[in-house]
Amino acid sequence: MSSTIRVEHLARVEGHGGVTVELADGSIRRVQFDIFEGARLLEGLVRGRSCEDVSQFVSRICAICSVAHSLTSLKATEAAFGVRISPQTELLRDLLYRGESIQSHALHIFCLAVPDYLGYPSVLAMSADHPAAVEIGLRLKKLGNSIQETIGGRAVHPVNAVLGGFGKLPTEDRLISLGNDLERGLADCDAVVSLMASLAPAEFCHSDTVFAALRPPGDYGYYSGDEVVVVSGGRKESVSARDYRSLTNERAVPHSLAKHSMFRGRPFMVGSLARLAVNAEKLPDRAAQAMEQMHLAALSDNPMDNNKAQAVELILDIEHSLQTVKRLLSEGLKEEARAAVVPKAGTGTAITEAPRGSLVHSYTYDGEGRIVSADVITPTALNAASVEDHLRRTVEQSADKNPAALRKKLEMIVRAYDPCISCSVH
Amino acid sequence: MAMSRPTVGIFGLTGCAGDQLVILNCEDQLLDVVRLLDVRDFLMASSANDTECELDVALVEGAVLSRRDQERLQRIRERSKILVAVGTCAVWGGVAAMHDGNGRAKLMEEVYGELGSTYDTAPARALSEVVKVDLNLTGCPIEKDQFLSAVTQLLNGDPPLYPEHPVCAECRMRENNCLLLENGEVCCGPLTVAGCQARCPELRVPCVGCRGPANDSNFPSALAMFTEKGIAREAVARKLRTFAPGAVQLVTGEKS
Repeated sequence: MSSTIRVEHLARVEGHGGVTVELADGSIRRVQFDIFEGARLLEGLVRGRSCEDVSQFVSRICAICSVAHSLTSLKATEAAFGVRISPQTELLRDLLYRGESIQSHALHIFCLAVPDYLGYPSVLAMSADHPAAVEIGLRLKKLGNSIQETIGGRAVHPVNAVLGGFGKLPTEDRLISLGNDLERGLADCDAVVSLMASLAPAEFCHSDTVFAALRPPGDYGYYSGDEVVVVSGGRKESVSARDYRSLTNERAVPHSLAKHSMFRGRPFMVGSLARLAVNAEKLPDRAAQAMEQMHLAALSDNPMDNNKAQAVELILDIEHSLQTVKRLLSEGLKEEARAAVVPKAGTGTAITEAPRGSLVHSYTYDGEGRIVSADVITPTALNAASVEDHLRRTVEQSADKNPAALRKKLEMIVRAYDPCISCSVH
Repeated sequence: MAMSRPTVGIFGLTGCAGDQLVILNCEDQLLDVVRLLDVRDFLMASSANDTECELDVALVEGAVLSRRDQERLQRIRERSKILVAVGTCAVWGGVAAMHDGNGRAKLMEEVYGELGSTYDTAPARALSEVVKVDLNLTGCPIEKDQFLSAVTQLLNGDPPLYPEHPVCAECRMRENNCLLLENGEVCCGPLTVAGCQARCPELRVPCVGCRGPANDSNFPSALAMFTEKGIAREAVARKLRTFAPGAVQLVTGEKS
């Protein structure tokens, strides 16, 4: 007997996708993460554009990841031209990136993922019975947006980060106010840990997952660095930004406008859980304690743990951002000229960690600073094959193949990845 | 006509979801907004949606880039009394519409190889190219207060009021130095519709025209300013084409 389990149009994710599972005589015939987001072909459309226009253009790949796209774009263009940005610019970009991560993780944890665990269809429905949790979630989400507005000039599609530096530096008053918001945010973190630790265990997919994430040279972070580490079982392997194609190996598949990636023939997972697997020893005390309280292992075999891993990063980013703001206030922001940008022919590649995982922008420019070719590889595309692998394991590991119960698990697996489907197709 | 707790749907076609995100970014007002609106269908935020009911108001972001998008939009139109295009993609086609459609098949093949011809895909269109649109909220993304005032106006039955003057007016009110006249930078402020409080020039970054053209702009005189500064018309057209291809002809009188 054969049957099909379908999630026609996934809810509470960014963009348009679904799930198809076909069973025949108790065995799995097909598992698909269907992606039917329209193809905007933005890498093609950016050809011929001037280097100055590129970051604002590619930021439109995705709103929730717009800081990640802007900053990765600037990093790639600056790499192509050999531009060296100042330590202050590097620090402000790091802070801006953390602002996006706070907004994105708070949105995902509270508005998209947690309602499943507590049995609600949405955060709005949840707010009637859990007003305090929803209030904290929205407050933390707003905190991330405040950082993005203060440093980036806008919460969605930042405008203030430009080639070589920033348009205008934030005023001292705005930084003081941001510092106060961050203090308040830090006070909310205990409640985040308690909430995550109290959720019913979601133990329906165990896997010897391969993880990949950027290894930053300094603190646990998202913007600096050029080396990706792949963790497979006990083994670690390193891939440099310029060799990113050996990591991604993209190929087109019929049921998805997002291409699939494999590393040495195996799907791999990127995102918060992968970053913990690669960078756990960089975690500051508070985040490490939060992991213990949530019973989260650095090398997890449960993809659902990505939700908890996001909570760890949420805490870490609030704490780190507060330290940065305090430092900026005590040292004072220096008015400095943007680093000189002199276009030259060549290729620049940058890898950063978007909230959902590793993000690559690679551009080839002509001598006048116009794009000859562009390649953008997004975390949700990198994750697509891994999502399918974990969906398959979920079906295999579920003794009860009741379609409704199984459908809910499949949706929760996809949601745990926090997919950004418009990114994945772009 | 004023409305009491109207039924509302919030939808995204192809785009970056930035306008739905702006709605979710109204953290301080969100819970009040959903008390005033009966949000029945909002896939990005809820897994319990009534996908068939009649809607007093449909808010639709994104452009039409596939047969699936087109069919969804037509179905949304059928079930809605008022259809609002939200964001520059919905109003003008947005960044994906920069491509004129020629060579799209070749681009699909470059990206996807021989599978390129098998996917459901089409050149980007604004909503108004497919269905009747009752109200436009432009911006990439829209501003929070645009969304909140649109909600208030719909609830009160007031006619919608939006600026028709250019970004320059807001920029001048903030007493910024002019990036175009003083620095000779390609700032699209004179041609672009206000409502953003001149976010970019306020930060000494030239306006990229992400909100589309301003009805009240004096286009010939604005274009003359660019020419005076030695900026080629093509450079201006190129900027405008990025977000609102339809604006090019409106502004320059030339076909995009």
